[in-house]
Amino acid sequence: MSTSPAPLPIRLLAQWRTFAPSWMILAGLAVMPLLLSSPNFIRLLFVTLLWITTSVAWNLLGGFAGQISFGFAVFYGIGAYTTALSMNAGVNPFIAFLVSAITAAAASLLVGLPTFRLRGPYFAIATIGISEAVRVVMTNLSFTGGASGYRIVEHRAFRQLDHYYTALVLASIAVAFSVFISRTRFGLGLNAIRQDEDAAAGLGVNPYAYKLGAHALAAALTGMVGGVFSRYAAFIHPQGVFGFQTSVHILLMPVIGGIATIWGPVLGGVVFGIVEEQIIASFPEIHLFIYGSMLILIILVEPGGILGAFRKLLRRIHGRR
Amino acid sequence: MADAKPKPPILEVERLTKYFGGLAAVKDVSFEVREGQIFGFIGPNGAGKTTLFSIIAGALKPSSGKVRSRGRDITALKPFQLVQAGIARTHQIVRPFREMTVLENVKLASHFGRKNVTSDSAAEEHAMQILTWFGMETFAQKSASILSVGLQKRLEITRAMATEPDLLLCDEICGGLTHVETAAMLDWLRRIRDRGTTVMYVEHDVKAITAVCDRILVLNYGRKLSEGAPDHIQQDPAVIEAYLGHPPGRRQEG
Repeated sequence: MSTSPAPLPIRLLAQWRTFAPSWMILAGLAVMPLLLSSPNFIRLLFVTLLWITTSVAWNLLGGFAGQISFGFAVFYGIGAYTTALSMNAGVNPFIAFLVSAITAAAASLLVGLPTFRLRGPYFAIATIGISEAVRVVMTNLSFTGGASGYRIVEHRAFRQLDHYYTALVLASIAVAFSVFISRTRFGLGLNAIRQDEDAAAGLGVNPYAYKLGAHALAAALTGMVGGVFSRYAAFIHPQGVFGFQTSVHILLMPVIGGIATIWGPVLGGVVFGIVEEQIIASFPEIHLFIYGSMLILIILVEPGGILGAFRKLLRRIHGRR
Repeated sequence: MADAKPKPPILEVERLTKYFGGLAAVKDVSFEVREGQIFGFIGPNGAGKTTLFSIIAGALKPSSGKVRSRGRDITALKPFQLVQAGIARTHQIVRPFREMTVLENVKLASHFGRKNVTSDSAAEEHAMQILTWFGMETFAQKSASILSVGLQKRLEITRAMATEPDLLLCDEICGGLTHVETAAMLDWLRRIRDRGTTVMYVEHDVKAITAVCDRILVLNYGRKLSEGAPDHIQQDPAVIEAYLGHPPGRRQEG
């Protein structure tokens, strides 16, 4: 125990066995579009990767730190509009994504400074209010086209694979971030805040600063996703990117997969990416009702999500450890 | 060694007052805790013990008055800042992180306590040392949720001590314990004092307080009723009257 500790990246490399499955999945996703080059399939993968990223991002705050936010559409939308405005001003798209990350993180501080003085349900309710307020403002803002939306003009040929690999890199960064944070002092502090904020503060954790930090990281990632999406879609409107259903989607995925875990939110993103379009296509009138029912069902039956249910099953098979 | 000035006390409470609406829960209470003591405060129900404790622990703001530690004003400090200033607390109702192991609970305190250990392995080593000192090393890998109440209370103290405080604030740590467990817990307090941490101890149980404390403050109706060594307190007519009612002469054995 007293040997000098190796730096974290080296220790992570040393644990390659743990991460071998992740590397294989990553490699699979990297070659998949080259083998199955149907544009619709690639689009589905692209969208799923974006959903995974927002899901993992939300989990940093909602899962690790236990602060349930219904307001992530704010960061998604701000990211989307920032990239759109920057690209139309001639900025390189990848620089624009970074600008989106910074803008969204800055916005997260504005949202977090007042709302993190609230706890539990009051925080959640406040985020709904802010999210709706921002949507209304954006609907009436004239220089972004208001409710009629905003068009992005990119002066180069559309190559779907560019978009796909951008999303793949972003999703990988998000997951790596999530793994990294869960193993650091920062992650331990967030974990303690989730379980008992007062007890954590009584041992030296600054809950306010930690929540703001997790919120900013989550917002930056979500903002980048918004940016990548807006570049792909080439057209965005407030009702879409700032819509309440966007917030609900972002929150629903980690809950489906398993909150406060590494792979739960990823799993939730995969499931959601696959079923989302089917649900909207089959039940356009009541798709939000379906999501609401899913949310209630999971919270009542298995708050641990798919991963929680799976672990219970494993424990039953192997007997109690 | 030419320092002739006496060190300012580790805790100095000056005319602390707390109103809840029109009612004064604590009124004009002043006292000092000297380094190396176990300082207790007692009082009948509703005397203001918990209010006073919460103000010192940074969980409640006073209406007026000051709290200082070694000359530094700590009245407005938040709990996590108090930890950095060398003041840790335990909770009356234990609050372990139930999804963590015993070791992780203590490791968190090593990480975020005054030593601010950043490296994971150093924090683990530090946590193991403290756990071993408290005789808890065999439970290190157990989930905190499966410990008995007695062990959870000991974990509460272990965790607070892992922040390396100079002053430990203990809130009714013997509540709900058996006689044997209480005696053991009081022994831990003495060992903590002898190790160099000053202890401020609030307790309902007069016998426990008088057994372990070097100095005691008695509160009644939010005011200071008496202060002194245990012998002095036990013979103070004002204290006897507050606890037993007026005609004195009968002794209480508990």
